[in-house]
Parts: sequence; structure tokens; C-alpha cells
Amino acid sequence: MVGWEWPPSHSGGLGVHVFELSQELVRLGHRITFLLPFDGERTPVDGVEFRTPWSPEAFPYPGAYDVHGSPGGGWGETDIYAFNEWIAGYPAKGFDVVHAHDWFGTVGASRLAGRFGLPLVLTIHSTEYDRSLDHPWTEILAREQFGIDRARRVIAVSRHLKAQIVKRYHARPEKVDVVYNAVRPTGRLSPLTGGRKIVLCLGRLAAMKAVDTFLRAAARVAATEPSALFVVAGEGPEFPRLLRLAVSLGLGERVLFLGKVTDEERTTLLEAATVYVLPSVVEPFGIAALEAMAAGVPAIVSKTSGVAEMSEGVFTVDFWDVEEFASRIAELLAYPTLRAAMGEAGRISATREGWEERARQTIEVYHRAISGGRP
Amino acid sequence: MKIVLYLHMHQPWRLGRFRYLDLGSDRPYIDERRNLEIFRGIADRCYRPALARIAKALAEYPEFRLSLSVTGTFLEQAERTAPDVIDRLREIVATHRVALLSETYYHSLAFLLSPPELAEEVAQHRAALRERLGAAPRVLRMTELAYSDELAQFAARERFEGMLMEGWEGVLKGRAPTHVYQSIAAPSVGLLPRHYPLSDDVGFRFSSAGWSEYPLTSEKYGRWIAATPGDVVNLFMDFETFGEHHPASSGILDFLSALPGAMRAHPGLDWATVEEALALPRAGPVSVPVTISWADQNRDLGAWLGNDLQRSAFEAAKKVGQIVRRSGDPELLDIWRKLLTSDHFYYMYVGGHGADAGVHQYFNSYGNPYDAYANYMNVLTDLRRHALERVAA
Repeated sequence: MVGWEWPPSHSGGLGVHVFELSQELVRLGHRITFLLPFDGERTPVDGVEFRTPWSPEAFPYPGAYDVHGSPGGGWGETDIYAFNEWIAGYPAKGFDVVHAHDWFGTVGASRLAGRFGLPLVLTIHSTEYDRSLDHPWTEILAREQFGIDRARRVIAVSRHLKAQIVKRYHARPEKVDVVYNAVRPTGRLSPLTGGRKIVLCLGRLAAMKAVDTFLRAAARVAATEPSALFVVAGEGPEFPRLLRLAVSLGLGERVLFLGKVTDEERTTLLEAATVYVLPSVVEPFGIAALEAMAAGVPAIVSKTSGVAEMSEGVFTVDFWDVEEFASRIAELLAYPTLRAAMGEAGRISATREGWEERARQTIEVYHRAISGGRP
Repeated sequence: MKIVLYLHMHQPWRLGRFRYLDLGSDRPYIDERRNLEIFRGIADRCYRPALARIAKALAEYPEFRLSLSVTGTFLEQAERTAPDVIDRLREIVATHRVALLSETYYHSLAFLLSPPELAEEVAQHRAALRERLGAAPRVLRMTELAYSDELAQFAARERFEGMLMEGWEGVLKGRAPTHVYQSIAAPSVGLLPRHYPLSDDVGFRFSSAGWSEYPLTSEKYGRWIAATPGDVVNLFMDFETFGEHHPASSGILDFLSALPGAMRAHPGLDWATVEEALALPRAGPVSVPVTISWADQNRDLGAWLGNDLQRSAFEAAKKVGQIVRRSGDPELLDIWRKLLTSDHFYYMYVGGHGADAGVHQYFNSYGNPYDAYANYMNVLTDLRRHALERVAA
């Protein structure tokens, strides 16, 4: 498997996906060699071997999408090139499938697969068009396109993303499978009681996440719901702009910017949350919303998010409709019966299929790739 | 053997999206345009063509009989966008071979509120039928064919001769639905139990290609009815069966036209209105302590008040009703009663299994029950505010 990030040093859904998927694949009897660009702290998984070309001192960068928003996290084109050369030359003995994720290792993975006559499977977690809000970096676009062209099977994490891969990258629809993200089943978190109602928005502060919509909706609700506290968890390039916006909306004491949170803090936040909001303009999946749902927190999500298409018991809203986001938040704050019913329906929906099902679906894709013809 | 064909005509006033942020604004609760658009569509596909077939059957077959219920909210919408449908109804009622039934004006859940509220809504409906269709019903049907001993007592107090009910094994206790019974609690009230297998053959299964009896011809249906033992076969279903639930392309309208001819082939069969059927001898008392309905596999009120959302909305509506009544404002009372229309609660139904889930989805005007609940509660909250203002004034 060719990846980029691995917990605990991960910044998005990709890191969660490869970690959980690898665990389940091993549990189902498979062995994985994981090629990563950097060394460093990694949560170990039995049956998964890691290989990296360089020492952490040379490349200390911890995640695929850095907090400053530049793709590749300060990597130059030369580094990407070197990483791919290293992948291409890896001694791939005894493997059945080469499985790459997103754009950064596509060229190397494709050459590696070609050298040993192995099928290439590529999972797309998000596209460059989405990450850049339609101002793609051509270098990355080319690597995505290359991977999609050369892969024998492509996996998209939502139907919405599949449609985009077909439309903008001209992939044959029958070559693209949808395998959603999942969450690990936990018990229902018991909500904190007695305090203020907490409306939570959790994610990278990038333009595509549209946290400004959350703040504008918060400003509309703040007046009618004096007990509500609006919490933004996550870091990213939009932070200064969002902070200024919050102040100009008069949200000063009503909104809390927490910055990047640990897994433990994340769990506590979900316990405390009354409502979860995912306002993204573009959201290929939206795994944090699924986590919130699994914890029994009622969620309001953009209609175009991947999580919206696989979920029941959520409110779906057009990403541009601030008034509707605000109304949905207010409704969930005002009607406890609604909160309870949606929380329960969302929990059931989010935990119906876990990572084991996703791993099985991925193995089916491997089988199709192995038995299938040329890309 | 009598055949009673009873068709139910109803359209609710569906709510428009009324956001929480719309509270206190002048935004109307009801999206009139959308409702009338829906009504026009159904009028074209169903009400007009089916009523034309019925008028023709009445003209050609003097023995043909029909029973109808028409809700007040249906009449309001027809009046605004398809008045010819009302003219047509008046014409067939004038033949004296079409009986109309009483019910609540709003197709409401008032029977769960209080007898006085129920009496007022039934009286309002009676007045509307007299004025618009020139009819004076003697038989009562309750919303969603709800029936209980208590409702029979209500019917007796209101001097109705009979009521309709679901011919459900759970209450008939081994007795056939093909007889007229009487209420154990109010013996003057005759009971016509719906023959649900034969009714649903047309209402639900007619266009199912996977059904072993597909396609259902009028001849086959006539043979089934003729072979059924008893005094009366009560075929109760939605009027929208003919052209809406089953599209014209399924042959349902031709089936309707062909029914009187097909029944003529069997000398033992004889059409009757609900009122005529009630003249048959009574086969014994029926006891129904807990309300039953014609919906779903359980035949209870679960489709309207089965989950927390529905019960919470209904309880909230009850409370707002007290304030609305105190306000004495007839306009607010009318809006509140429109909010008691059973359809609103039906939209809040969650889940369901197998056949029921499909039926629920088909009738839902929202994407999901949570949308329905939130919207309803917003409207109710706003209405409460209006009523409180009026009370204070």
C-alpha cells in the first residue's frame, strides 16, 4: 500500500481510512507493506510493515495537507519525484496488489505495479479540484489523472466523488467502485448535562470546509438561543480570516476556537456536543460527522457531502443556505424530542456498517482488479 | 349478497417550509400554490376521469350504487382550483344512488382530543356537505377508519345509524366481515366491517406484476365476490386508487367502468349504499375497547402516534389548542384544526417494515420524519405566539 500519513500524525480522513482499513485487512488474513515518505511516530498494527525512504530529520513534516494549506506540506516537486522513484524501484516480491491513496504516489505505484505485472488499485479520498476550490495545481492534477488512468480499479469514498472522477477525470464509470468510510463502534457517549448547549464544528480550517457558513449561522442563532456555545475545533489556513469574521459578527464570547484537538479531546467534545454541523462546500466524505453520529450527536450536513448520501437521521442543507443551517441548529436546540430521535437514528445509521465491511468491500475490488483486464 | 363500494376523497393542506428563523414573521404556514398544484395533478389523473367513469356507470346501470366521503380540506382545494370536480360530485349525489358519509371536516385526529371538539368538527363537515353537495349523511366514518366503542357511543349521541370499521380478525373474533354488526357499547349503531383482502386486491395489489393473481380482471373479481359467503361485501378504499395510486396505464379506470357489468353476471349480487346495507339484519355485537384503524399490519394508531416525535407533536398541538380556544379567534382555530389533520403526523412516521415502509414513503410530503417534525413544531410554536398575543389583547 502506498500512503502518506498514518496515525497519530494525520490531518484528515485519509489517515483514519488507511489505518482502519489496514487493521481489518490484516484481521481478514492479508499482509500489508506500507510505503510512506516519512519516518516518525506511528501507531503500530500487527501484520503491517512500514518502509520509508528517509529519516525523520530530513523530512519532519507530519501530514499530507499541512496547516499552511500548501499541498505537499512544504515539499518541493523534487521530493515528490524522489519519493515516487523510490516506490517504483521497491522490491515488490510476493505481492498481489499495489494499492495507492490519492495523488502523491501514483506515478511510482503505477511503475511498481508494471514492473511486477500487478494490478494497481487507487483510492481517491478527495480531488485537487475540491481541495483547491477549483484552482488546481497542475502538477498534482497531472499525478491524479495519471493514477486514475493507470489504475485497474478506482475506489471513491462517496457516490458524489465517483461522479466527479467520471466527469472531470474521464474515468469509465464501471471502473470506479464506491467504498464509504466508517467509524469504529463505540457505546453511545453520555452527553454532558447541566451546562450550556454546545454546537460543534470540527475539521481542518480550509476554504472548502466553509466554517464561515457555520459562523454566519451561529450569528443568526445566537440571539434567539442565549445558552448556546459555538465551538470550532481544528486548525488551518483560514483561521485568521475566521477569527476576524467571528469578531465582526459580534460572536466574541459565543464562539470558541480550540485549534487542533487530540483524539481524547475529540471524544470529550463529542460527548459534550448538542449538535454537530458540517457546512463544507466540498466534502468528499466527512468522517468527523460520522463520528459525531456514532456518538449519538444529531448532525446537520451539506447536501453534497459523502456522509449525507449514506446517512439517515441527519438534516441535509445546501452549503450556501446560511438561514437553513441556522434554522436547523435552532430547531435541534429547541426540540429535545427531535434531538433524541435524530441522535438515535444517526447512531444506528453510522454504525450499521463498520470498517470490517469496508475492508471486505475493498478486497472485492482487489479481486476485480486481479481478474480484470487492462485499465 | 350486497356489494358496498365506498371511496374516500381527501387532500391535506400540506405545510410549506417554515424555518425556525421564520418564527414571528408573516410567512404563511401553508404553501397554497404547491398544494393546489398537487391537487390539479391528481384531478387530471384521477378525480376527473374516475368521476366521469362513475357518472357513466350510474347512467348505464340503474342498480349501481356508490358511497363516498369527501373531507372539508378536499372541498376547499377543489373549490379553489378544480370547481368542476365539485360540480361533478353534486351531479352524482343528485342521482340518490350515491351516499355521502360524515367525518371530521379536517380529516383530523380530533377523536383523540375531546368529544366536544370532535362534535364541532363533524358538525362543520356536515354543514359543508349540505351547502356544497346537497347531502345529509346518516353514516359516520372516522379519520383513517378509526373505530372504538367510545366512537360508537359518540355516533349514537350524534344520531348516526352506523359506522365503518376495519374488518379485523382481532375484533371480529372468528366471525366473517361479510355481515352487519352492532356496537356492544351503542347497539343503535350498525357496523360495516371492511373486507380488507378484497379491498386491498384493488387498492394495493391491482398493478403489482409480481402478484400471483395479476392481472386482475373485473370478471375474476366478480367471481371472487360471488363466491364469498355472507350478507355484504364492503369494499372500502381511497378514491385515489383509480388513476393516482394505480396509473391509468394499469387499466384501473377500465376496471372501474367494467365493475357494474361484471357484477350483473352474478344474479345473487346486488349493489348497495352504506345506508342501504345498514338495513340488513344485525349479526351480533362487536366490542372494540382499543381504537383500531385501517392502516399498516397492526391496524392501530401507530402510523400517526407510534413514535416519540408524533406523540410529542400531538401533545404540543393539544396544549396550543387550549390557548387557541381561549383566544376565541376563528381564524386561528381554523389553522389549528388544519394542523390536526392526520397527514401531518403520518409524515413523522419513522422506519417501518416491508410493505408498510413503502406505503409510508409514497405518502410522505417531506424527505424524512425529522424535517416533518421540525417544520410542524415551528408552525405550532408560531401559532402559539399568535394565540397568546390575541389572548393578551
